[in-house]
Amino acid sequence: MGMDATLPAPWRIAWRRPESAAGDVFTWAVEPVDGTGSSFLPGQFNMLYAYGIGEVPVSISSDPAGTPWLHTIRAVGSVTRPMAALKVGEVIGLRGPYGSAWPLVAAEGGDLLIVAGGLGLAPLRSAIYQALRRRSHYRGVYVLYGTRSAADVLFADELAAWRDGGQIEVAVTVDRATPDWSGEVGVVTRLIHRAGFDPATTTALLCGPEIMMRFAVLALQQRGVPDKAIHLSLERNMKCAVGYCGHCQLGPHFVCRDGPVLAWPRLSNLLGVMEL
Amino acid sequence: MNLRELVDSQRFCQGLTPGQCTGLAACAGERSFAPGDYLLRQHAVADTFYLVLSGEVQIRLAVPGQGVVTLETIGPDEAVGWSWFVPPHRCQFDAHAVLPTRTLAFAAAPLRALMEQDPTVGYAVLKTLVGTLTQRVQSCRLQVLDVYAPPGA
Repeated sequence: MGMDATLPAPWRIAWRRPESAAGDVFTWAVEPVDGTGSSFLPGQFNMLYAYGIGEVPVSISSDPAGTPWLHTIRAVGSVTRPMAALKVGEVIGLRGPYGSAWPLVAAEGGDLLIVAGGLGLAPLRSAIYQALRRRSHYRGVYVLYGTRSAADVLFADELAAWRDGGQIEVAVTVDRATPDWSGEVGVVTRLIHRAGFDPATTTALLCGPEIMMRFAVLALQQRGVPDKAIHLSLERNMKCAVGYCGHCQLGPHFVCRDGPVLAWPRLSNLLGVMEL
Repeated sequence: MNLRELVDSQRFCQGLTPGQCTGLAACAGERSFAPGDYLLRQHAVADTFYLVLSGEVQIRLAVPGQGVVTLETIGPDEAVGWSWFVPPHRCQFDAHAVLPTRTLAFAAAPLRALMEQDPTVGYAVLKTLVGTLTQRVQSCRLQVLDVYAPPGA
């Protein structure tokens, strides 16, 4: 992070690739223009600034042990759509990394369960890479991923490689099947009932639409996973990213500073409140 | 595990007497399906209640103009079909094995008679069935919500 946490530093787009067959999600690899090295923890996010357009929070989706840093973005809003049109070699502003991280070290010794929905796989990708590197420190590692349709599956090649690699169990399901899809059909919470993890020793990491996460928590509780072992990554209207502005406030928490990763006991009374 | 042990190991047998489990086992048999086989066919008489022991089953529906659409996948320890319980006892969907699938298959008519005759057994089986229905309805609602759609889509 720079000297001033609110000041973006210039970073260059090193390469860009489309990330799903649906075409609305892309990944940027970015490198600091001044070559300064930095590090991040899985689960943290950066504020990406397209000069003259605007700034958005984006989780870092790359292996924390490697460079360049990757950011996986859906071209959906007034900032991310113009971002999708930026070319390789162009310079953006970046500040970060910010926020809390997945409790991967605390999870060691037990099962690690990763439940992702839609674009929520991106913030968990860095956690998966770290878990793979320290695979012997976990009993089982399970990745359960649900998304809208076959065309929306993110990181399809990596999911296949992880599954075929045999080190982690991977299950992918889609809500809507098309004729080209031969895999599972149904919501991701159903996979929780089937996965072979040991609830008593499991740490669960969840990221996806809030509704999906609420029902995933319910399914985990039904399996007997303790509340304190369930961690969610939240998305809120993060602007300053350092707890000044309050735009991302959720009850007593600033999601940018206290989150985005928060344990379920800190959220259980908040997510059901429509006004928050 | 023999048939009786398989029946005894089901959730709905927990809390039932050995005699009641014997009654349930008398309605049951093990049945296996190869990939491509159908457990249930749309419009056919719903004469069997399946519990999946291993394998994978797709619930499918033929939709005019769209062909056969897969609605959801059923895995181990899950039930397939409840039309056997609700008149007119006709299957509303296809259930199609996609992997080699082993099931515990209960003949519907004697099972309904047993549930009618012994409400404790009926209640135990219904609790399992309602649990399944609750999960399926919840899943359906989430699917209808299209939670992964881009905001404003």
